[in-house]
Amino acid sequence: MNFLKKLFIAVSIITAITGCKKLDIVPTDRFSDATFWKVDANVYSALYNNYHLMYNSGLYFSAEALSDNAYSRAGDVAIISGGNATAATGKFAGDWANYYSDIKSCNEFLTFVGQNTTLPKDVMSRMIAETRFLRAFAHFNLTKWWGDVPLVTDNITPDEAKVIPRTPKADVVKFIISELEAAIPDLPSKDALPASENGRITKGAALALEARVLLYQGDRMADVVTVCEKLMNDQSTNGTYSLNPSYTDLFSDKVVNKTNNETMLSLQYVPTTYTWSDFFDFAPLSVGGRVISNSPTQELVNDYIMLNGKGITDAGSGYDENNPYVGRDPRLTATVVYDGYKWDNGGGVNGTTKTIYIKPGSDPSDSPSNPNGPDEYVGDRESSSPTGYYWRKYFDPNALASYVSGLNLHLIRYAEVLLDYAEAKNSLGQMNETVWNQTIRPLRVRAGFTDAAALDYPASGDMTTIIRRERRVELAMEGIRIDDIRRWKIAEITMNGYAHGARFSGDQTTDNGYIRVQKRQFNPNRDYLWAIPANDLSLDKNLTQNPGY
Amino acid sequence: MYKIFTDFKWDSLRGRIYKPLLVMKLTLLLLTATFLQVSAATYAQKVTLKVKKATIKEVFEKIQSQTNYDFLYNAEDLKGAHNITLKLDNMPLKQALDVCFSDQPLSYSITNTSILITKKQAPTKLDVSKATIRGTVTDTANMPLPGVTVKEKNTTNAVITDSKGQYNITVGDNAVLVFSFVGYGTTEMPVTGSASVNVKLKETNTNLNEVVVVGYGTQKRADINGAVSTVGAKDIGDKPVLNAFQALQGESPNLIIQQNSLDPGATPIVNIRGIGTTGNNDPLVVIDGIVTQSTGSLNTINPNDIANVTILKDAGSAAIYGSRAANGVILITTKSGKLNQKATVSYNGSYGVQVPDIMVHKIGAAENAYDKNLALVNSGLAPAYSPEQIQELQNEGRGTWDLNHLVYNAPLQSHNLSVSGGGETNSYFISGGYQDQMNLFVGNGGSGSNYGYQKYNLRLNQTSIIGRFKFNAILNYTKSRNKTTAANEGFTIADANRVPSNFNWQDANGNYLTNPVSSQQNALGLLREGGFNQTDYDEVFGNLNGTLTITKDLKLTGVFGGTLDNNGSFYNDKAVDFLPAGTSANNDLTVNDGNYKSNLFNTQLYLNYTKNLHKHSISATVGVSSEMYSGRGFSLSKSLTDPTLGTPTTGTTISPTGSNNSIGIDANSLLSLFGRVNYNYESRYFLDFVFRDDASSKFAPGKRASFFPSVTAGWVVTDESFMKPVTNTLNNLKFRASYGVLGNQNVGNFQYETTYFNYTAAYGFNNTLVGGAGTLQSNPDLTWESAATFNAGVDFSLFNNKLSGSFDYFNKVTRNILQSPQDVPSIFGAGLADANVAKVRDAGWEAELTYTLRSKSVMQSFSLNVADNKNTLLKLTGTATQQINQPDVYALIRKVGEPITEYYGYETNGLYQSQADIDASPKIAGLAVSPGDVKFKDLNHDGVIDAKDKTELGNPFPRYTFGFTYRIAVAGFDAMIFVQGVGKRDEFLRGELVEPYQGGYGATLYDHQTDFWTPENTGAKYPRLATSGPSNVNNWQTGSDLFKYNAAYARLKNVNIGYTFNKNVTQKLGIQKLRVSLIGQNLATLTKLKFADPETTEFDSKVNINSSSNSPRSYLLSAFYGVGIDLTF
Repeated sequence: MNFLKKLFIAVSIITAITGCKKLDIVPTDRFSDATFWKVDANVYSALYNNYHLMYNSGLYFSAEALSDNAYSRAGDVAIISGGNATAATGKFAGDWANYYSDIKSCNEFLTFVGQNTTLPKDVMSRMIAETRFLRAFAHFNLTKWWGDVPLVTDNITPDEAKVIPRTPKADVVKFIISELEAAIPDLPSKDALPASENGRITKGAALALEARVLLYQGDRMADVVTVCEKLMNDQSTNGTYSLNPSYTDLFSDKVVNKTNNETMLSLQYVPTTYTWSDFFDFAPLSVGGRVISNSPTQELVNDYIMLNGKGITDAGSGYDENNPYVGRDPRLTATVVYDGYKWDNGGGVNGTTKTIYIKPGSDPSDSPSNPNGPDEYVGDRESSSPTGYYWRKYFDPNALASYVSGLNLHLIRYAEVLLDYAEAKNSLGQMNETVWNQTIRPLRVRAGFTDAAALDYPASGDMTTIIRRERRVELAMEGIRIDDIRRWKIAEITMNGYAHGARFSGDQTTDNGYIRVQKRQFNPNRDYLWAIPANDLSLDKNLTQNPGY
Repeated sequence: MYKIFTDFKWDSLRGRIYKPLLVMKLTLLLLTATFLQVSAATYAQKVTLKVKKATIKEVFEKIQSQTNYDFLYNAEDLKGAHNITLKLDNMPLKQALDVCFSDQPLSYSITNTSILITKKQAPTKLDVSKATIRGTVTDTANMPLPGVTVKEKNTTNAVITDSKGQYNITVGDNAVLVFSFVGYGTTEMPVTGSASVNVKLKETNTNLNEVVVVGYGTQKRADINGAVSTVGAKDIGDKPVLNAFQALQGESPNLIIQQNSLDPGATPIVNIRGIGTTGNNDPLVVIDGIVTQSTGSLNTINPNDIANVTILKDAGSAAIYGSRAANGVILITTKSGKLNQKATVSYNGSYGVQVPDIMVHKIGAAENAYDKNLALVNSGLAPAYSPEQIQELQNEGRGTWDLNHLVYNAPLQSHNLSVSGGGETNSYFISGGYQDQMNLFVGNGGSGSNYGYQKYNLRLNQTSIIGRFKFNAILNYTKSRNKTTAANEGFTIADANRVPSNFNWQDANGNYLTNPVSSQQNALGLLREGGFNQTDYDEVFGNLNGTLTITKDLKLTGVFGGTLDNNGSFYNDKAVDFLPAGTSANNDLTVNDGNYKSNLFNTQLYLNYTKNLHKHSISATVGVSSEMYSGRGFSLSKSLTDPTLGTPTTGTTISPTGSNNSIGIDANSLLSLFGRVNYNYESRYFLDFVFRDDASSKFAPGKRASFFPSVTAGWVVTDESFMKPVTNTLNNLKFRASYGVLGNQNVGNFQYETTYFNYTAAYGFNNTLVGGAGTLQSNPDLTWESAATFNAGVDFSLFNNKLSGSFDYFNKVTRNILQSPQDVPSIFGAGLADANVAKVRDAGWEAELTYTLRSKSVMQSFSLNVADNKNTLLKLTGTATQQINQPDVYALIRKVGEPITEYYGYETNGLYQSQADIDASPKIAGLAVSPGDVKFKDLNHDGVIDAKDKTELGNPFPRYTFGFTYRIAVAGFDAMIFVQGVGKRDEFLRGELVEPYQGGYGATLYDHQTDFWTPENTGAKYPRLATSGPSNVNNWQTGSDLFKYNAAYARLKNVNIGYTFNKNVTQKLGIQKLRVSLIGQNLATLTKLKFADPETTEFDSKVNINSSSNSPRSYLLSAFYGVGIDLTF
């Protein structure tokens, strides 16, 4: 009894003590508004969040299938490329939100970073410059797809977001250019960057983005030339850039991919810890792929010129439709897997080569009960390519299982600057042998062309076609093609009619036996701009829709 | 001291109603002080008295002032006492009292520190004249009643009627006989000289006298005015259930239990009265008075330990739980021992097998090849198989690549042992339980035991009574372990299903084969050797409580209890060799160890007061409560570990992103003041008032406190004199009504302030990972959501209480619903904190009906419960009136004026039968459809099918839920049949089992897909086959009700047939009860949905609009066949 009484007393005391627990509980694994920015390490973490939201591998690769370079059989990419998108299409809302999330993160950073009083001034200005670059990049992506978009330069509240109107595209572009120019002085040159900061935004990245933004406007070619020349001719100030000797290594070699003189801005990844695995759904099944969600088109393959510099349809090109992959631009093999391709595992653990059999019935392992080898083209089998081609570019020989890769994805390469320059010069009527020898020639030399007919300034031929074809194959699989066909206003041609695959169709009479993979439509009065997402349109009464949606 | 308590009770509380904390502290201080004094007091205390003609009351007061004792008496009793003149000097208390009471008509007794005064009993006459009385006891149908207790009133003299209902008792003069029998009304008959007394006993509605746990106290069933359901141990005990969810499913109307996974150990979804909010809909679960953190506690408690369950459904009953009660409350009381009961040892066990119900059957490979060719040709593509190949497939026959070869008849066993009993002052209950449910999938992942779920329960419940003080301690320990495959279960099932039927899992040499369809994986190989996932869960539950009877009307109860949880997870994947070599996603030999610990403490102190004054009865409860929760966890992930052991070895790497300490640190607390007043007049008119005042740490200061009141009323019409003529038929009729406001605070912690969190993998520089910091937006205005609930009900019993039932109607409007606001465009750029934005109406009804049929040898009962509820979204957020989520080609919509979440898309209108039909119909622009394709309805009649024709297509939440139980007992045999089901539910299904050759992922058709359109089969259910092209886009890429299935069902959930051996026989073996039984579970299902379980849903308890769509690939339903034994010593 005494024991029980004591127990009850003990219980009562515990009750009294626990009952006093306060309601003001503070999270112990998070910072509050008041303390966060005062810690230097947190400011870096906040900056890296701005980087984190910049772009992602999904956006990067899906852009290719929106263009005539590739085909994706399912999902919103197929709906958009098929011309069937509406304001409710999920990708529109997703991409839109994605870009605005980085803008939010950047605006928060710019609003609050001043609360930190301990970081050195130059460190702080550099971080601000990087953030302004990222905010400009997000706005550039928005205006590229949607035209007039809300320009968000403050850390807006939910209520402000409900009434913000669209800003005319010209003003958005003006903002982007002025932000980039304002950031450049505070950004380091690539040469001044310590190795540990490899991947941070540099003067070169900002200038190259400025060149791209100006080029995309179509009417700023002289400015493009100016900016490109800063990068080409004033490398002591803006960083030493050149073409990497190997094209393939840029996308597959674990060292070169990360450290070379060509990369100006890359989406940075880290093997095993910060990775992407999109290639799992690009690679042939026999070399570790899963399902094929993105594959090159015949139209892309056709634009790879012959080693003699001629297009495949040009007279005297030597192109053989029955043996189509011989004598072609070496970048074809570096980019696309075709029937009979000798797949090199890249000297990794396996170090082996495997032949990829794509043509129906060509795989020696075919048997009556299992008539189609794993990589063979079969109507609509999910695990094999619907186009009869697979991607090779960005194959990572060091990837983990499921193609978990830590390779960087290049956003801007020096090759693009050269192509920007060539295009701007050409469009200003200033293309000549000098410019050619500064731009197309070194690209072809690097690609592996040796024939003078391909390397020398062409005496004839349509220079615009030559430059555009060069741009298409050099930058294939890097998400640039869709931008190009939209700004050149040729999407209404290239994105209308059937997208094709290899010549494996069961019906050899239609389209000369090339597989029809998708019927595409492009409405020039509508599809050069994406639809403002329906949901945002309904929640922000000051938003207006693009024509045709 | 008596004074102190009475003063405290009213005065200190009245003034401080909004300061529960202070009250609690004061009370505890006082209580502690009291007990400290008590322990110092002894009978040796001395008294000095000097009084002249003092009233006895004055003497008591003097003694009381000198000692620690207080006097308890009924003032009425003191009236007969005479005045006292006395002089006592330092006399021991007991002696002093003896003197005082020497010639008084009163006596005293000392219990603890109380001196209880009672009237002296008149000495009983020692009457020697005796008479023998005989008679027969029958029921109202004149059937003899054996086993009736016949007792002489106010004596211990009693006998029991024999098998013919006859008795024989010797009694004194003027004796009164009391006849009592369980289930019948007690009848008193005076012996008036006759030697024979025959009695008819009336059946009673025992239900009405049942004591029901209602939260911080109990009430008689008859006195309850709210909507309260109870489930007893009997209802649970007969079911071979593994958890309390299964035990409760179908037992109470509008207690809706659904599953989104049938995995052993998975926690089902529970809703009381449907969906009342777009926020959290989980009811509050309270076990032995202690609140729990989630409904998961219903999974861990041993169902055999449950004595009864009370379900509080309306505001009238649930308001005592205030801010968490809006979704209803489930109160579980566990078993305890009884005083004065000899030790009883009970064992019950069952053993049986779970037989997987494989609902999906592939068609033959040759037939499939033919159909595939047809699909390709219909899509404008070349056929894939030549006639020779099809013939070859025909010759080859069926292989083993299917689900049947991945599962087996897995054993399931359960054993429970308990000991209970009690002496005069203490009682105990001790139980141990063990469950072993093997997983239906074969294999063990490469090491250890086969996949399965084991649970161990240990429970102690001890009560001691010391005078006016009752102390109770409950301790429970639960341990469970669940081992499953490391491979994704859904893909395992999908891979087994989607490969044509001619393939095999293994070749003659035992190699695990791969094929081009299955993503180069072999599910059998992965199940057997690919590693495993194991969770270990430990839970300690404790409850220490004490009740002090201050006066016979006033009791003080203190409770301290809580739960400590430890949740461990261990994942280890292993490489498997396939032929030809494929990609095992598991070849990086990852081991992931995780742990999460949490604790929840609950402290309560409350007073219960009851008083009956003539025809008025009043009872009141007032109390305070404090709750606090905290938790934290960690995980460690390593790759390239030892292939056999999973331990670190040369080359092992730690994953910086998969390894974390301090995960999910969380804490919250709640302080509350609550009270209840029940009043009734003649047990005929009832009026109750219940309230709770809660303050929660989840909200900012100033937004924390909220007051939740409810009022209820009841009227027993049959007690009115004007009803007299019909009460022989209508035995009881009670009308009830309640109205009140309940709260819901179930949102994430700390949302009222902006916080920043660091994370490990933001980006990389120079191949080195850097961390990032994200922001969690805040809403400083966050506060409770509140649900105003009206309930009206009627209880009735008819025909000598053979038929009883109840009916309730409710209408609940929940305002300020806590959810993510839907009116902010994504231009804002960040996720939003929850806000008080939405409004929902939930209205419905529920009915229960029980009919009991007793005859001489057969007892039967039929119980049916049926319920419906319908929710309507009244407001989403601000001006935003709809929200659409597109988990698949069809969408989910949340729209004002409609049920909370519905399927959304196009309505189909049959199939095109001819080109003329196509030409005459509105179509989707740009699609060249063919006869056999799906036709859609042009709802806006604009001649074209486009987004404007989309509409609501169905409600995924169950309507018209029901449960039916039939019991029969005859001559030692007993049987129970339990059927449970849903009257109306729409279910959208997707994936390879729905769409033929879906997206190239599925490579075979199934028996249930073969009714497709061909020119010869124009009345088909499904459109013509086409795997791509316009037909496929039209039929399967356009979200329509083509994906809709009727998921109404009635399922024979439980059958239990038992035989209890004759007691006379078993007692010779020392056995009180021996019952053997046959057990069946999920034996049959009546439904139109044939290839997926209609009971399984893709949604959670709030029908989340962001749920992903259902591609029926979940763990298989199984039937259970087993035997059971019940043994009591």
